[in-house]
Amino acid sequence: MSTAVAIHEQAHVPQPKQISNPGGFLRRTNFLTALVSGVVTAAIFWFATDKITSAVTGPGATNNMSLPSGLNISITMMYIGWVLGFMAGIGAFAGPIRWFLGHDLTHADAEYMAGKDMGREKFWKFTTDHKVVGIQYLVVTLILFGFGGLLAMLIRTELGATWTEVFNPNFYNSIIGTHGIVMIIAMIIVISGPIGNFIVPIMCGARDMAFPRLNALSIWLLIAAIPPLVSNLLMGGIRDGWTVYQPLADQAPIGMIGYQVCIITFAFSTGIASVNLITTIVRMRAAGMTWSRTPILVYGILGSAIMGLVWFPMYQYSQILALSDRTLLTSFFVPASGGSVWLYENLFWLLGHPEVYVIVIPATAGVLEYLPVFVRKPLFSYKLAVAGIFGVVGLSAVVWVHHMYMTGWAPQSNYPFMMSTEMISIPFSFLVLVMLGTMWRGMPWKRLPMMAVYAVVWNKVIGGITGVYLSDTPVDQYMHGSMFVVAHFHYMLMGAGLFGAMGVISYFFPKMIGRYLDEFWGSVGFWTAFAGFQVTFMSMFVAGLQGMPRRVLQFDSLFNISNWISTIGAYVIGIGMLIFLYAIVDSWRNGIIAPDNPWGGKTLENFTSTPVPHENFPVLPVVTSGPYDFGTPDPYELADDAIMRKTEGAEKVSARS
Amino acid sequence: MSTTDERPLASADEPESPTNRPRSMHLVKQWLQRPYVRRLLWITVAITAVIIALSFVMVGFMNMSGGPGSAIMNEIEKTMFVLTFTCAPLMAGTLAVLTYSWWGGWGSVASGDEPTSDGPAIQTNGVAVVTWITVCSVLAAFLVVWGLVELATITSDSYGSVPANQQPNSAKPVVVNVTGQQWLWSFDYPDSGNIKSAQLVLPINVPAYFNVTSLDVVHSFWVVEEGVKIDANPGAITNTGFTPTKLGTFNVRCAELCGLHHAYMETKLTVVTQEQFTSWIREQGGTTTS
Repeated sequence: MSTAVAIHEQAHVPQPKQISNPGGFLRRTNFLTALVSGVVTAAIFWFATDKITSAVTGPGATNNMSLPSGLNISITMMYIGWVLGFMAGIGAFAGPIRWFLGHDLTHADAEYMAGKDMGREKFWKFTTDHKVVGIQYLVVTLILFGFGGLLAMLIRTELGATWTEVFNPNFYNSIIGTHGIVMIIAMIIVISGPIGNFIVPIMCGARDMAFPRLNALSIWLLIAAIPPLVSNLLMGGIRDGWTVYQPLADQAPIGMIGYQVCIITFAFSTGIASVNLITTIVRMRAAGMTWSRTPILVYGILGSAIMGLVWFPMYQYSQILALSDRTLLTSFFVPASGGSVWLYENLFWLLGHPEVYVIVIPATAGVLEYLPVFVRKPLFSYKLAVAGIFGVVGLSAVVWVHHMYMTGWAPQSNYPFMMSTEMISIPFSFLVLVMLGTMWRGMPWKRLPMMAVYAVVWNKVIGGITGVYLSDTPVDQYMHGSMFVVAHFHYMLMGAGLFGAMGVISYFFPKMIGRYLDEFWGSVGFWTAFAGFQVTFMSMFVAGLQGMPRRVLQFDSLFNISNWISTIGAYVIGIGMLIFLYAIVDSWRNGIIAPDNPWGGKTLENFTSTPVPHENFPVLPVVTSGPYDFGTPDPYELADDAIMRKTEGAEKVSARS
Repeated sequence: MSTTDERPLASADEPESPTNRPRSMHLVKQWLQRPYVRRLLWITVAITAVIIALSFVMVGFMNMSGGPGSAIMNEIEKTMFVLTFTCAPLMAGTLAVLTYSWWGGWGSVASGDEPTSDGPAIQTNGVAVVTWITVCSVLAAFLVVWGLVELATITSDSYGSVPANQQPNSAKPVVVNVTGQQWLWSFDYPDSGNIKSAQLVLPINVPAYFNVTSLDVVHSFWVVEEGVKIDANPGAITNTGFTPTKLGTFNVRCAELCGLHHAYMETKLTVVTQEQFTSWIREQGGTTTS
């Protein structure tokens, strides 16, 4: 794709003075100091707030839902203390404080922070190198999927045991909510985190992200946000589903604060990461990489980052207001005091629906990115793919009310929102045509990533048609809130999103880790999970059609058979995912060493060595051709030409690409 | 191609007899004669048939617990068929290309080998793109129009947001105030001496009109086999309604997570004849006008 030439020499700029060893304070911080600092600060915040609130309000004060308000405030401050202490302990504030004191970072400091010549300890530190951050994201994602998957197994165990309550209702409702939000967070970051941070700058031909320190900040904010969420299970749970509708969430025990602090922190992390990705993509593409030579994955990540940046604040805002209702006794969402439950639902779904596209668009774009490599054909109608991505990004802003058809908020708005929801299928159909057109007459190379393409299209077709039913208000009047919805969004998020992510990760694994993902065990795991997935969610469609509401732990005996089948399928998914995880862990250590260009691709990451060196490229590349210039002249078109020549009697050969 | 479009196109070996068909028809005909196109079309037809058969299975599942119990549910099931039939050919075509490529219809490279040659360099194809966009847009527009009309129909069937005393129907509706609370439903018949009941009882073929609210958190009033659902919100009243057309016992469930015992927040709807309804009201101590 490119020829590398030196384009400019560094001009001399005055450097700040080195005042200590390179790195300074950051030499002493790592994950362990962050943990200690987080726990200590949380404890200090808790004790201090507890003393103050009991002195101010007295022991008997209660909040809207008759919970002791002092406790809510001190738990909130404890979680905030955890986040602040953790970030201080990892060294996130070192840079701003040094800037405030007038000691700017030197080049040696920056190189230390980027983990130059550092061993494995750089993965445990506030490291700014985008490749380190990418690996950190990958590991965090895998841990989140493991935890969320475990909860899914518990949910299916409860639903499969139709004759008894395995868990008490509080714990069951809590694992439903925790499974939901853990998986949502994991799915949001699974492509944009590991691939977006590791691969996208290389694909753009940059040495790092635009804001390396913000990059480190985004991953460590994410890591800080997880413990409050997980700890909710020890503090009474978030028994209200991942949507935590008000005012139900106000009744929940103090575990709900963990959820709210997690979301508020995670939204900061997402916003920072989005700004970073957008700036990198817009400003730091290599010389010659015009918008029509930019790989489609980069477009997908760009679209996803834009949606995340615009819509995540809505969700964050809803949780801030809810937290304020709980601790400061405001009544934004408390109907008894004049609040509105519909306000919460609107704020929530303003992110809640675009978030689906935040997940699906990068997965789809990732699949489109490597599909041409595996059929050795150009991406079919590249510009249609770009139009599809931005069509979805644009329309995603105006569809959220389809989650609220049955709320009674504004029945008349069901008409325009049904229209916009059905219209969003048109840009999506562009992406489907691009996939089909690229497959068309190609000889697929049957490696695991290619197999994932088939799985994704299959799931997307089923998720798409069931989405058509749900987008239609009259049918949704039956389906809304039933297991049909659950099966539908699992087909989109897991079927198209997660299986797509598995394909994308197995494609970029050799470039990121330096070793191929084990083809045999990877495929066994992938197909086992795929088969289990079909069984689980096909029979969940049946339960939904029969009229089974979602988020229940006991139900009519009519739904028994489909739930038994679903549970068996879920265990098969669990086994398949464990095999896939084994393949990842094993290949990480013992896989086949990958060459510089693992798959024969033509994007920029294939033009640097594997493993990718510090600062990515010895010399910054210059792009002179498109990313998907595969292919030989089309035999059918050549035949057409031959016919034309015979007809016309002309001798000249028309040039075709 | 840069040649004049009217000129008949000769085959490579023998000249075709002159016709007046435009050249594009020849291209389509030629395209349809490619062997893989033929196979893809047959696979598409087969998958379409399977999908259409599946739509009957789906509606069958919806009716397993005794529906459809009202005109609204009939409309919903009709819409299910229309949506499936509309989407079926496009879905089937997509799955046909998918399976054909997967089975190696265009050849394949085993996972142990490396690809040795490139595929045809098809950058794009204007005809395919325009056709696809047109077909998708027309189908989506049809779905939208159908949905809007159906939504207007079921809204008028369920009395929408028009108060009960302004309804155009000649039959006097049965008004029921539905109250959700953690974790039970209660039904209040204001026109029959405010009797209260934990079960919903309605006369057949008489419009029933519901004022739905909640005492604590958000619930969702779902009369499964009647195809009616509306959220019960604290601090607000929402409206819905239907006319039962089938005698029997049906399910009322809560369709919005409402706390610990959400799963158990269900009751029964019993649709009875007008005479049975009147006597049931009297048994409960209510007053009847008829």
